[in-house]
Amino acid sequence: MKLLIVDDSSVVRRAIERDLESGEITEVDQAATGEDAVRLYGAKLHDVITLDITMPGMDGLTCLDKIIAINPEARVLIISALRDKATAIDAIKRGASGFLCKPINPSELREAFELLIED
Amino acid sequence: MNDQDIQVFITGVRRYFESLRKDLRVVIEPPFIKDEQKPFLEYTGIIGVSGKAHGAVCFTANRVMLENILRFLNEAPINGELICDLVGEIANTLSGNAREEFGRDFLISVPVVSTGDHIRFQFPKECRNYVIPIIWQTEKAYLLICLT
Repeated sequence: MKLLIVDDSSVVRRAIERDLESGEITEVDQAATGEDAVRLYGAKLHDVITLDITMPGMDGLTCLDKIIAINPEARVLIISALRDKATAIDAIKRGASGFLCKPINPSELREAFELLIED
Repeated sequence: MNDQDIQVFITGVRRYFESLRKDLRVVIEPPFIKDEQKPFLEYTGIIGVSGKAHGAVCFTANRVMLENILRFLNEAPINGELICDLVGEIANTLSGNAREEFGRDFLISVPVVSTGDHIRFQFPKECRNYVIPIIWQTEKAYLLICLT
């Protein structure tokens, strides 16, 4: 299983990678910007993507639109500090499969990931 | 921004530090207002705010506290780049979490990180500056709320 982690913070990217370490994941890519994420996804079509929203340049919701345009079945878990319901609902309407708020709770993250790959 | 609005930031601070380790207590001292010089420590993550409010939310801390947090996150080796990344991410998390109370029109920027007193941000003059002192593992940090 290929995982793409998108966040402008390298500390967050590595924390997510450590939290999701398992035998199921065979390949992990990281992107610090939305632009890099779209490029990487277009090339590799990762099975699961974790995606931040507030990033320099292309924001996460625009990135989500572009990923969904490439593959409407993409499994995208938004992980964002933005704790308002409207943003979460908007992300789901635009095609995200789940929404988690920062700070990241490792057990909630693993649970969300498991649900995502069960689908 | 009024005294009641500050509570959402206090809740966010508690949530952040408890997410690192629940058994380590974070002490949040009573917030105070400081209209002149701001208490910047060694590293400061600044989030510009626009939309529903204008100004900035800043998390400022010394290197020791930030190194301790990175250790809890299993980061090694620790360097200045990681410390700057972390202080920006904490500022992002605490300001983004405030949208739970203020809603989607509370627009936040990506973090700007400054060291020492060299603060690269123009704070609005017309706002009250709330300072929330935070003590975690004997180290002190501040969350500064400078919003109209």
